[in-house]
Amino acid sequence: MTPDIVIVGVNHRTAPVEVRERLALADGRLDDAHRRLLGFEPVKETVLVCTCNRVEVVAYADDVAAATDCITHFLAEEHGMPREQFESHLYRYCGRTAVQHLFRVAASLDSMVIGEPQILGQLKEFYARAATVGAVRTVLHRCFHKSFSVAKRVRTETGIASKAVSVSSAAVELARNIFDRLEDKTAMLIGAGEMSELAARHLLSGGIGSMIVTNRTFDRAVELAREFRGTPVPYEHFPRYLPLADVVIGSTAAPHHVLLPPLVHDALRERKQRPMFLIDLSVPRAFDPAINEIDNVYLYDIDDLADLSEENLAERQREAGKAELIIEAEVDKFWRWLNGLDAVPTIVALRERVENIRCHELEKTLGALKDLTPRQREALDALTSAIVKKILHSPIMHLKRQDAEVESFYVDAVRRLFDLEDFDEKEDQ
Amino acid sequence: MELKLLVLALALYLGATAGFVSHLLTGKEALRRLALVTLTAAFGLDAVAIIVRSVVYRTLAITSFHDQLSLFACLIVGFYLWLQRRYPLTVLGSLVSPIAFLFVLSAYVFYSGNREFPHEMHNVWLPAHIAPAFLGYAILTVAFCVSLIYLLQEKELKKKGKSSLRRRLPSLETLDELNFRFVTWGFTLFTIGIITGSVLAKERWGAFWSWDPVQLWSLVTWLLYALLVHTRLTGWRGRRAATLTIVGFALLLVSFLSVNLLFVGRHSALG
Repeated sequence: MTPDIVIVGVNHRTAPVEVRERLALADGRLDDAHRRLLGFEPVKETVLVCTCNRVEVVAYADDVAAATDCITHFLAEEHGMPREQFESHLYRYCGRTAVQHLFRVAASLDSMVIGEPQILGQLKEFYARAATVGAVRTVLHRCFHKSFSVAKRVRTETGIASKAVSVSSAAVELARNIFDRLEDKTAMLIGAGEMSELAARHLLSGGIGSMIVTNRTFDRAVELAREFRGTPVPYEHFPRYLPLADVVIGSTAAPHHVLLPPLVHDALRERKQRPMFLIDLSVPRAFDPAINEIDNVYLYDIDDLADLSEENLAERQREAGKAELIIEAEVDKFWRWLNGLDAVPTIVALRERVENIRCHELEKTLGALKDLTPRQREALDALTSAIVKKILHSPIMHLKRQDAEVESFYVDAVRRLFDLEDFDEKEDQ
Repeated sequence: MELKLLVLALALYLGATAGFVSHLLTGKEALRRLALVTLTAAFGLDAVAIIVRSVVYRTLAITSFHDQLSLFACLIVGFYLWLQRRYPLTVLGSLVSPIAFLFVLSAYVFYSGNREFPHEMHNVWLPAHIAPAFLGYAILTVAFCVSLIYLLQEKELKKKGKSSLRRRLPSLETLDELNFRFVTWGFTLFTIGIITGSVLAKERWGAFWSWDPVQLWSLVTWLLYALLVHTRLTGWRGRRAATLTIVGFALLLVSFLSVNLLFVGRHSALG
């Protein structure tokens, strides 16, 4: 069995929020979860990724089918949930498709709002968590780092990121068209998503006075409230606090509207008709579109905001196409590297690396000793060659040993000890 | 001499209007300054003309319809220019200037020459009636302009259009607050005008109230503004308040014009 990369998970498209929330892993259980996953026979490396829109297990494993089964089993056991309840929502990728999926996630092409910038940071955090418990070795190390650099490339070379940023800044601009000043205004965040957090951040830097945060899981609301220096409110009680909110940002993943016209009517009456600005960043919509008919209420959904920004839809689609091309090319590169990850290319790389050092140092020395005769120069060259060969002999013998287990251990060790990863990277560029 | 002043003021008001509107469309700062300077000059001319006539009449120049129209225009612009120093509401200028232009144009059309003020009309209560009433009218006119802009901005926000007009207009909150403030001021002055007016009526005709057409219209208008101020306190704001302000102004204009043009009564300057 050749080892391969496997991804098993759910995201906002395959699973409703109830399932995603039940599958989510609490922060405190993450290290233990990594260790348990590594305990499964086929799993060699693993990284758990868990954001509000996705729960994914990325693994490098010997036997793809067995590993997929192990991961599903792990999810069921971890959450005390029968497999049947969530199995239909799971997606399973392996090989090239898995790499492509990871790159797309990092580049924010798989996000609810394409181009939103937070996913990359989250991915980095989860990768770091996995690395601290030793769950990451050569392959996933390379794969994740590659995904980070791909995301960076997509961000700088395409206009994909501008949508998310432009949506947020359009929201702030509109808020300024409605309100004279934001300092004495309160914003309410219903549900937490990557996009709504970005919008909230923009409002905060725009000077909004205070923030109320509510979320289905109260812990998350508390966490966000701490971040935004706001007040957390239990989800069941948010209608009671609605009259306090001048700006309401909705980002729930509920399949139905959480805000209906009567609720807004009541809030307005209590507010003595002071205007409200509602921003619906959810897909599907969290606020009933009929709310926009109410006097003194301005409801904008994510598409309205995106339309306000300079780029039109066609342009954004072209940018997304450009991003997919970049990813395709990078997946190719990575795939070539992964398939070459056996002893031979490592030996070649090691020899090249050391030979490079030798040549460089030799040149420096010969440059300083100009009065050497050609024979003496040859002698120095032969001497250094012999030393390098002798030193490399034993490591290369170990690498050439035909024992799969040991081989991959040594390949990994050598690549790290001699910084061959960086060496490859430079070659790439 | 007076007609020449009027024509010159007319030209300047027209110029200011063009300046403000083109500033609104292009956003060029130079146009805004030019428009403001032009409007100030027009205001100056208008004010000089009124002062000259007042000196001739030896009381506030309000006998003829054209006197009233040009006083009206002068007060509106004066109030706007004062306001402009505190709030940079350029967009308001593009409504105030054409309104002033229309008023001065009517003054020109209805110009009926200087008339000697009937001696028996001299009374301390007359300026005390006219001054607050007209200043109130002027402020309510500006409130009307603010309401128009409010409705425009409101429409832009509701229809979620891409136009850049939205960016050049003040925020809804600003417009709503200004509207309320001006309506309150205008209403207060208007009320004072009505009270001093009835004192004047008592002095001259022996009765505070005589169901004169102007009194009747003013009462209706006053009631509407009273309703506006009252409902505001109970939470009528935004679009409804703006609409009501516009209706109030329409009544005000009807009472001002029709009384002068259609009815013959004690208030009529033509009669």
